[in-house]
Amino acid sequence: MAGVTDFVAAQRENRRQTVLLLVALTGIATLVGYMLGWTVEAELSDGVPLWSRFGVVLAGLMAIASVCWSGVSLAFGDSMVLAMAHAREIQKADAPQLYNVVEEMAIAAGVPMPRIMVVEVDALNAFATGTSTANGTIAVTRGLLDTLSRDELQGVVGHEMAHLANLDTRYAVIVGVTVGLIALVCDAILRGRSWSSSSSSSKGDSKGGGVAALLGILLVIVLVLAPLAAKFVQMAVSRQREYLADATSVQFTRNPDGLISALRKLAAKAAPFPGVSRATQHLFIVNPVQTFTKKSSALMATHPDIEDRIARLRNLGA
Amino acid sequence: MSFWIVIAILAVVAFWAIAVYNGLVAGRNQAHTAWSQIDVQLKRRHDLIPNLVQVVKDAMGYEQETLTKVVQARNAAVAASGNPAAAGPAEAALTQATRGLLGLVESYPNLKANDNVKQLQEELTTTENKIAFARQFYNDSVNAYNNKRQSFPAVLAAASLGFGPIDLFNMPETEREVPKVALR
Repeated sequence: MAGVTDFVAAQRENRRQTVLLLVALTGIATLVGYMLGWTVEAELSDGVPLWSRFGVVLAGLMAIASVCWSGVSLAFGDSMVLAMAHAREIQKADAPQLYNVVEEMAIAAGVPMPRIMVVEVDALNAFATGTSTANGTIAVTRGLLDTLSRDELQGVVGHEMAHLANLDTRYAVIVGVTVGLIALVCDAILRGRSWSSSSSSSKGDSKGGGVAALLGILLVIVLVLAPLAAKFVQMAVSRQREYLADATSVQFTRNPDGLISALRKLAAKAAPFPGVSRATQHLFIVNPVQTFTKKSSALMATHPDIEDRIARLRNLGA
Repeated sequence: MSFWIVIAILAVVAFWAIAVYNGLVAGRNQAHTAWSQIDVQLKRRHDLIPNLVQVVKDAMGYEQETLTKVVQARNAAVAASGNPAAAGPAEAALTQATRGLLGLVESYPNLKANDNVKQLQEELTTTENKIAFARQFYNDSVNAYNNKRQSFPAVLAAASLGFGPIDLFNMPETEREVPKVALR
């Protein structure tokens, strides 16, 4: 049994990365807050203290906001995602085969039975969400349910079950929401600053004003770079997780062909569907927003190229 | 000074021992939970098979060798249940017999079209899969636990604390392969 995934290790790694990323993101938010306060104080008074009181207050506010936001996203993130995708919970009688397949994969992964939801669209896709293995949800589209054979469905559900068992879903929810917040705040400040700096530049060329302008430029640089940096980290981590989930799915099913032919069908019938935005795209088994142009913007993609994934699965099977 | 060093070393050793002990307990519990999952699915298969046998018998109107084989294998498996070492071969034989039964159903179009049979087939297929997956998970858990209790430092105290070895659940013939009885 080569290449057995150690869930405990994968979960530990995910916890560590979640904490690291939250610390980093909170750090970015705090830095943005301090820079903003510092710049404002420099503009209002002539002297520019290194230890800006405005800055400390705003930094504190941003830190508290980002911690609260993480808590909120942990508590409500998955229900928000499910509501946005218009997913509807089903019982065994509604789709016995899907129910059975999910039950099989839950047993293979050794996790509690997740809730099962169906999204009534023709696009072929599936996603998992949940902030712990005990309250997970797996959702598939109607199109997927109607198109895939039992073995293919098993491969896809195995992939989603791997995300749940590895705690990828919790990570994804928090990261998606927090990265979104940083982008939002930076964007709002940038818009606000461009307006206020033009009005304050008429104040004259005092010494404080010059330093304030310099600080303002620095602030703009931070504001532009922060969301980008956060995004890059999110994407790189997301792609690794897709490969891991593919491998884990095969470890569950012992049947790489099922997932391979499912991925082929998914790639051939990729179609966007309503309720999916860039904020939630990284949760899906194949990217629901973009079409699959080869290696297009590989650096920013949430999902690896499907041919790449299939090639790696082939290697597992051999 | 040296007193405190001794205290510190003792504390570290105590924490280490607690962690090792808790690891063993968690491993043993996981193996037991995994076994009960297998047990549930095996019982479910034992319950499902008579239903399918009955439906097939009703539809064909006469006894078939395949049917008697399945019934015998099932009874042997029921008798052996509860003990991983004995249940393995019996359940493997039952898996073979069940495949024969599902193959028989395949070759009778009027049986295949029967909704009742279709449903029983899906249930039997998923139960076969669940047995395979539960066994996979059980054996992985048992391997992890056995490795833990045989490695240093647990090996020094595991046996005297009541952490005995746990048997793997082997089903010869179906080893490494998920039974494929799915209908298309």
